[in-house]
Amino acid sequence: MSQDTVSERMEQRVIFGLQVLSVSMIWVFCLGICAWVIHLLLLSHQLHDVPSASVGISIVAIPVFITGASVLTYVFIGLQRGGVAPNAGGEKREDS
Amino acid sequence: MNERVQLEVPATSLDDSHDEDELLRAVEEHGVGFKVTFTLLGMVILFCWAIFGRQLLRGLGVTGLNQPVSWGFYIVNFVFFIGISHAGTLISAILRLTQAEWRRPITRMAEIITVVVLAIGGLHPVLDLGRPDRMLNIFTSGRLQSPLLWDVCSISAYFMASTVYLFLPMIPDIALLRDRGARPHWFYAFLSWGWQGTPRQHAVLERAIAILMILVIPIAISVHTVISYIFAMTLQPGWHSTIFGPYFVVGAIFSGIAALMVVMIVLRRVFHLERFLKPIHFDHLAKLLLVMSLLWFYFTFCEYITAFFGNEPSEMRVFFYKFSGGFAPYFWGMVACNFLIPVVLLAFRRFRTIPGILFASIAVVIGMWLERLNIVIPSLANPRLPYPTGFYVPSLVEWAIFIGAFASFILGYAIFSRFFPLISVWEIKEGKKHSLAATSERVRGYLPDPLPQKVIGGESS
Repeated sequence: MSQDTVSERMEQRVIFGLQVLSVSMIWVFCLGICAWVIHLLLLSHQLHDVPSASVGISIVAIPVFITGASVLTYVFIGLQRGGVAPNAGGEKREDS
Repeated sequence: MNERVQLEVPATSLDDSHDEDELLRAVEEHGVGFKVTFTLLGMVILFCWAIFGRQLLRGLGVTGLNQPVSWGFYIVNFVFFIGISHAGTLISAILRLTQAEWRRPITRMAEIITVVVLAIGGLHPVLDLGRPDRMLNIFTSGRLQSPLLWDVCSISAYFMASTVYLFLPMIPDIALLRDRGARPHWFYAFLSWGWQGTPRQHAVLERAIAILMILVIPIAISVHTVISYIFAMTLQPGWHSTIFGPYFVVGAIFSGIAALMVVMIVLRRVFHLERFLKPIHFDHLAKLLLVMSLLWFYFTFCEYITAFFGNEPSEMRVFFYKFSGGFAPYFWGMVACNFLIPVVLLAFRRFRTIPGILFASIAVVIGMWLERLNIVIPSLANPRLPYPTGFYVPSLVEWAIFIGAFASFILGYAIFSRFFPLISVWEIKEGKKHSLAATSERVRGYLPDPLPQKVIGGESS
């Protein structure tokens, strides 16, 4: 195996690792937002504040963030699975 | 016999060998222009931040804000920039959803505006705090009952959805740049997510874009509705209005389309995109802008006629402050820029040329900024409580941030154009290959079905 092929594979692995890390960061962001909203809900409960608006906002906000992160994860996994393995014959759409 | 109408397309227009090179030229062959632009705008932004340093050291006292006018340029610009952000994702999503084929060279430019402008606009309330470290209080002890916190949630959600919505359709183009050896290679390899253009990958991407374009529309509408709630949920005269939500959304889409057209006309000239951004694209958007102008006028009329007819003293103080008082030049300037100029220029085909559209669009951008100014300041200057009329003159720091925000917008766009194509290459190719067939099929679907053979036979017998 030539030196170039080894370094290319190494580079591919590092890039893949970074891609996984970036998708994980989206989840960290989303879960962070969810944790923050839940913290504010608990705080309003502790302070006997009016909870209705808080509950309404969190019911809307949390699913939006989770849907966004899920779509991104779905695309990432879908693209990894739907790709053609190196040296394998594969159909390629003309406009891509 | 059911005759099929064949669309005649010149062979040259289907040849996309040059399209790719032309659209990627700005990324692959960037010259001195980018460096000069980057340096100049960078210097302007650094200078503006240096002036803002005064506010960090001395507090909000260096601004023109005081009691009773405690919101000024920062909040005006916040509302204005978030409004402009509706150019992108919302318009792009609606055009995609309705399968408007003329969208293809427009969508990405629109989506970039959203992401850049949201980042700039979202920063303004932090500047308005005086001490940015106070932002941390939102995380530790914010009140979700406050419309200000609803704003934080909705703008964050919109920013996230818009960024994803910008990124996903870019993946095939990033992969194209990777395969053409664009530098830095690792950067394009990282962002292309292993795209190889297989039918399965296309299916995944198209499904994800379809989900996002449906998700993004209600989020975008919610963002400006919630921003209007910051004003409408108070009992301030001029703000406490039930139509503020839709009024703000209409204004946001209106200013968004205008900003999009200004950007398109400038970039068309700078990057020589005349072959892709044709007069027909501007004509369609100009008609949309005209409709929004009429709609904006209708909402403005409804808003003021209700206040005038109610004749409530504190409302009337704000009303006359705008119509004939200290804010009259700004109010009537707003009416001229948002209604008179665009209607005259866009309603008549003679004036609906590209220079005419550019002039009308710039007028609308200025007019919508004046509208935000007219909403924020006069109500605070004339509070319900028996105070003397307030006074507000923006200080040097506020002007600096204002200029810095515009410079940041141009710089953001310039940086994007340095690394990514401003027009979606794969969508243009896809359009050339599949749209004609898809469109003619759709048009056939609108036409009456051919009569069954039995009926034709019965009539003839």
